[in-house]
Amino acid sequence: MTFTYRGASRPALQNVSYRHHPGEFIAIMGPTGAGKSTFCRCLNGLIPAFTKGTLIGEMTVMGEPVDPRSVYRTAQRIGLVFQDFEAQLFSTNVELEVAFTLENFAVSPTEMRPRVDQALKRVGLTGFGARDPSTLSGGEKQRLAIASVLAGGPSVLVMDEPTTDLDPIGKRDIFALCAALRNEIKGIVLVEHETEHVILADRLVIVSDGRIVRSGPPSDTLVDPEFLEGLGVRPLQTTVLLRKLGLPSESLGVEDTAEAVRRAGWRAAPPPAPQATPVSTFEPIIEINGLTHRYAGGGTAVSDVSLTLHRGEFVAVVGQNGCGKTTLVKHFNALHLPSKGSVKVLGKDTRDWALPELGRHVGYVFQNPDHQIFADTVGEEVAFSPKNYGFSTDEIDGRVRHALEIVGLAGRENDDPFALTKGERQQLALASVLATTPVILVLDEPTTGLDYHGQTAILNLVRKLNRTGVTVIMVTHTMWVVAEYAERCIVMQGGHVVLDGDVYACFRDPGLLASLALQAPEVVRIGRLLGVEARSVEELVSRLEK
Amino acid sequence: MFLYLPYDTVLHRIHPATKIVGLFLMLVMTVALTEAWQQLIVLTGVLTLTATGRAFRNIRRILPLVITVMLFSCITWSLFKRVGDPFWTAGPLTLSRESIEFGVAMAFRLNTMLLSGMIFVTCTRVEEFSYGLRALGLPFPVSFALSLAFRLVPLFFSRIGIIVQAQQSRGLDLKSGNLVQRIPKYIPLLVPIFVYAIRDTDLLAMALESKGFGFRTARTEYLRFVFGWSDGLIIGMLITINTVIWMA
Repeated sequence: MTFTYRGASRPALQNVSYRHHPGEFIAIMGPTGAGKSTFCRCLNGLIPAFTKGTLIGEMTVMGEPVDPRSVYRTAQRIGLVFQDFEAQLFSTNVELEVAFTLENFAVSPTEMRPRVDQALKRVGLTGFGARDPSTLSGGEKQRLAIASVLAGGPSVLVMDEPTTDLDPIGKRDIFALCAALRNEIKGIVLVEHETEHVILADRLVIVSDGRIVRSGPPSDTLVDPEFLEGLGVRPLQTTVLLRKLGLPSESLGVEDTAEAVRRAGWRAAPPPAPQATPVSTFEPIIEINGLTHRYAGGGTAVSDVSLTLHRGEFVAVVGQNGCGKTTLVKHFNALHLPSKGSVKVLGKDTRDWALPELGRHVGYVFQNPDHQIFADTVGEEVAFSPKNYGFSTDEIDGRVRHALEIVGLAGRENDDPFALTKGERQQLALASVLATTPVILVLDEPTTGLDYHGQTAILNLVRKLNRTGVTVIMVTHTMWVVAEYAERCIVMQGGHVVLDGDVYACFRDPGLLASLALQAPEVVRIGRLLGVEARSVEELVSRLEK
Repeated sequence: MFLYLPYDTVLHRIHPATKIVGLFLMLVMTVALTEAWQQLIVLTGVLTLTATGRAFRNIRRILPLVITVMLFSCITWSLFKRVGDPFWTAGPLTLSRESIEFGVAMAFRLNTMLLSGMIFVTCTRVEEFSYGLRALGLPFPVSFALSLAFRLVPLFFSRIGIIVQAQQSRGLDLKSGNLVQRIPKYIPLLVPIFVYAIRDTDLLAMALESKGFGFRTARTEYLRFVFGWSDGLIIGMLITINTVIWMA
């Protein structure tokens, strides 16, 4: 099968041949733009039914050809859960959401209720029937989206990056559900960015440039970190560690890897002399005192938080979906004002700052760059902010050039922002904020929707800025990002700060982390088994000796 | 509706078609009545329904609007309506007993309409509204589209809120300048909003088809309402009252 989007210079899918055997759980991985979502949408006929382009080749599901004129008919056999799961929820309560699919499939009313109950039970949402979907956490919404598709009784369940916005425990639950479902339905296709969990699949399909470049048992591919990294897929830290230690990278699990390292004679080197923590010498840049934020007509999102952030810190704010992370950081540039308590930025209460003026000192990069892009060219987009602050034309040109240089988009001033890749749009959003040279940079989930290359590009950029003295505050779910890039970690739960300290300290208590729906990255856990505190593979290697 | 409150009251349990027809007849009735005392009786009835449907929480949300409508109607109609013998005149402004009564009647009428609508959305889910429209003979895609619009309004506004915040963080100042100076400032908001509206509509259409929307066989309903004697009684009463008022 080959599919080319209208106006595209090359096909999104090129000569793809794929066979799904009954009972298989297939994981699909690949870099951004590889054709994964296109493939998923072809499976139930959404492409070409809703997307203009040329489709060559054919596809059959359980012996019947997929007819793009009747997606609703194919939906009975192929259930598709979208990456943007909120787009699939349009009912006012959980029960009705699940029933919607059954109503469309004309299931008899007497049969509907048990099927709704069964689908909710299957995803662990029993007792949630009367809840409004908008009040659920991200993980619960995702499970509801899955339940609503499962209730229709599809033969194959297709999920397009269902864990993108979920906290670590939410992600783990989705994979456990997939593993359990494989015995109940005829097949599961799951597109995923995170490597750690795909090991549960029966087959791993790697897609790149619209082609299937590898297909086989996950262990066959996952043991090859260079191959994955070359494609823009994050390799398992276990295999990278083993390679760096000159050991065969055949162990994929944390315990097996630790054991293999130990068997090879590696042990913890004497710890380096403790370094004086420099934080106390830093000048306070954001002071939060008894901050509570209540939404109008809603609940309390942040409750009695007191914190001091220092100039030059790299802080990660983590916690379960809906714990108040974004609400907290929106106080730093006065997008939110406290319902109670105070927030001081650069020594001045945010109530006394004019919002546009504070925006010059505190750059805020939103999770989705498309929330701000509007200009015809990349240059104009970056110039928007300095223009608002009344800089001269020459100064604006200089700032635009400098900001684009920092993010690696120099020379692209005349490009159309909407034609950039998601990673480049994220870089553009960052450049547009950097053009006013802020001293504080707030990033809300900056790695969402990016592949490994995109993630490391943006994170290395942020680290570089931090080393020049910019204070960085980053909201994230991705724990390896916290471990490798942040210096300080603030963990939130139910609107409260429940843990605040350097990153090593935050990863010390696995029980506490689990109770907060978090999990340390693999390398931290391997280090713990070997008696070493390390945040990255490089650090762990440096802390081992034979 | 996004103001729906999930209580189990008599009003919540009424057949959705009865609620839609009942609301319509209520509005027709209040248009027909002209005297302030008549409007007061209807408004008292509506307040009783507010208590029955436990809608006071939502009414509180629109209380400033209710009070504004009350004051604005009373003052403007009383001063500008030329009816009866004026006991006070100042240029174009006059006051008479009849104009004051008229102003009060209009204030009661507008608030009766406002409160009736609020009670309706407090006691009717989006899905029930859609169900009611179908029971009244509207095809499913039309009734679904209408009800979906209600559901999507708050989501759309929340999206606009994020876009406004994103641009304000980059120094966009929507408050300063006169109207002419402010209009171009909305372009950085409109482009992302339109891009999102188009993208979301496309995604919504795909999500609906992926859940079997448009399946050709007769659709079944999860919600079950039986049009009972009480529904017949409510509509019968409202039709009778309307007939009497309109014939009088």
